[in-house]
Amino acid sequence: MPRTARTASTGIGIAVVLALGLTACGSSGGDNVAADKKQTLTVWAMGAEGEKLADVAKVYEKANPNITIKVTPVGWDVAHQKLVSAAAAGSMPDVAQMGGSYMGEFSELGVLEPVDTKIFQEKDFFPAGWQQGEVDGQAYGVPWYVDTRVLYYRTDLAKQAGITKAPTDWKEMRDLATAYQKKADTKWGLSIQPSGLDTVQNFYSFLYSAGGEIVNDKGEAVIDSPEAVKALKEYGSYFDKGLSNKSVQPGYDVVKDFGNGRVPMFFGGPWHVTLLNEGQPQLTGKWAVANVPSDKASVSMAGGSSLVISKDSEHKAAATEFIKYLTDTKGQADWYKRTKDLPANTAAWTSGDLADDADLQIFKKQMDTAKSSPSLSNWTEITDKVDQAIAKVTQGKASAEDALKTAQSQIEGLVK
Amino acid sequence: MSTTTGKAAESAKVQAGPGTAKSPAAGPKGSRMRGKPRLGVQNMAGWLFSTPFLVLFLVFMAVPIIATLVMSFTDFGLRNVTHPLDANFIGFENYTKLFSDEKFLKSLFNTAYFVVIGVPLTIFLGLLVAVLLNNGIDRARTFFRVGFYAPVVTTIVAVAVVWRFVLDPSDGLVAGLFSEVGLTAPDFLGSETLAMPSMIAMAVWRNVGTVMVLFIAGLQAIPTEVREAARLDGAGVWQEFKGITVPLLRPTMLYATVITTIGYLNVFEEPFVMTQGGPSDSTLTVSLNMYREGFNFFHMGYASAMAYVLFVVIMGITVLQLRLLKDNTK
Repeated sequence: MPRTARTASTGIGIAVVLALGLTACGSSGGDNVAADKKQTLTVWAMGAEGEKLADVAKVYEKANPNITIKVTPVGWDVAHQKLVSAAAAGSMPDVAQMGGSYMGEFSELGVLEPVDTKIFQEKDFFPAGWQQGEVDGQAYGVPWYVDTRVLYYRTDLAKQAGITKAPTDWKEMRDLATAYQKKADTKWGLSIQPSGLDTVQNFYSFLYSAGGEIVNDKGEAVIDSPEAVKALKEYGSYFDKGLSNKSVQPGYDVVKDFGNGRVPMFFGGPWHVTLLNEGQPQLTGKWAVANVPSDKASVSMAGGSSLVISKDSEHKAAATEFIKYLTDTKGQADWYKRTKDLPANTAAWTSGDLADDADLQIFKKQMDTAKSSPSLSNWTEITDKVDQAIAKVTQGKASAEDALKTAQSQIEGLVK
Repeated sequence: MSTTTGKAAESAKVQAGPGTAKSPAAGPKGSRMRGKPRLGVQNMAGWLFSTPFLVLFLVFMAVPIIATLVMSFTDFGLRNVTHPLDANFIGFENYTKLFSDEKFLKSLFNTAYFVVIGVPLTIFLGLLVAVLLNNGIDRARTFFRVGFYAPVVTTIVAVAVVWRFVLDPSDGLVAGLFSEVGLTAPDFLGSETLAMPSMIAMAVWRNVGTVMVLFIAGLQAIPTEVREAARLDGAGVWQEFKGITVPLLRPTMLYATVITTIGYLNVFEEPFVMTQGGPSDSTLTVSLNMYREGFNFFHMGYASAMAYVLFVVIMGITVLQLRLLKDNTK
């Protein structure tokens, strides 16, 4: 047990040492090698993408024999720390996959090369996808794939509860949740997180649909707006009424409970389609996806990943070519086939599966209006204050108004 | 007795060493080498052999420890990861801020709560199990010993899976027991009042094994003649325990208490995997708070200051314990 705390302080220490010792030698931009010269590109990608990307890289190498691509898969759990250490040590890979939430931090660290907007154009991508790669109006990442949350619900249990259509607004969703519990004998009505890190991700569907925001376009904190209060009240009511579980531990896997019928509804991303098809095959035909039930509108959160080029890279030209290959219409459709990650390039949606599959159209429709979080370097800290407000409400410690007022004053101090 | 127990007793003497020998806490007098060290070929060889350790120690311990101290007087933040020299010295600002930071104070309170309840429980149960294993059960002793020690060597992630099942309010083991007698189990991890006791229960379960091993070693180091003499004088089981076992176990007790306290003051893993500090920060410990300030929010300077406050607290408590508990042995 004492080891862990020591690791933490050692970690902080190492960061400094690395920073002090190594930035000096790593920072000078260096010469850029032309794209058609023989060279090796280093690429970091996270989780499942890291593994699948190696296959794509092989295909690319065949077409471009002068390029060797070294893909390093990085686990999501260590990705952030590894990238920060690499940034500190001046040893960033030529190309890296980055989540939208990292973008603010790493642009502040000054390790990202601005995107050449003559080559990659905003109009080709979903707006929310593009915005994720943007910091203060400057694009640093090319959208690679996008994701958004939609409502997954059990159609068989809904039928049992006497409801045959997907809920479209808050009231219908609440009614469905109640009916599930009362008539279809499910343990819970809807799975949303009561507290803990990143609870805010569940809350976004409510907040954005009510027309609220945490920080607005002008960079002002607006989490105590009437819209936000309304959203949090609605969110909290699921816990008051016993429709949602007040005790969800870190590492909870909703897929299993969706499969056994304890949880008939949850907000999930596109990857849940694969997880359900592969992990709960008995459910085939017994569930569906629907757009986030609306208040003022149906607006979900946007997530996904962008591809960035390191400022120090000596292979920027080749890196740009590779990213072009990954994000053009053909590359994006191919990537979808391999990973089921949703293409960020809207043109890729017009052919094959992507155009025909009704479930996918739900995602596309949601993506058109989805909102991405502002790229602020201290976004984690800002959302942590919202998480705390949500926790207070779901645990019955404070009213939505009071909890958000506190969060508002804390966030005001953070956005300056 | 089997050879394994013999070995255990031997290693026990080694382990109990710091306590039994004149104790390093009293001062290093007893252990210091006599005579002046001479520079020469022999010493060179000594240095040569210790170099790997010294290098590792310098790089991974000494330098970070000093760097952290320096950092705790700066406003080191995210930007400074690539531009460390841009960090500003701000004197004791981080430290003064700590003591008006409600969250930090709460984490300090939580940690104290954890130690005050957890340490006595762990020591008591460890001693109990050790005495039982040493005297009571003749058969299957090894089985029980391994059983009690297993949690110590099990990874926390596996432990978390098991405990989540045990504590799950709807279909966990405890919930099952409650419903057997017609009661509804409380939501252990979701309740602000019960989450911390649950963490303590988990930690005690995980650490009783360590303490038990120490005590078994201590018990086996007690010469049988002393016990026999007491028995001849007509001492009962309880008298023997009170008059012989407890006094002779004091050094082990001191050692076990000190290391358990240090461990619990640093408690991180249990809340990290089980509750992430929730609900409403009720299981947020100093170490977890420090981790989040440092690695989630990148307030490196602030987190370093926290680390040093924790360090001072630990040192203070350890010195206090050594004083109090050692004086009693006389």
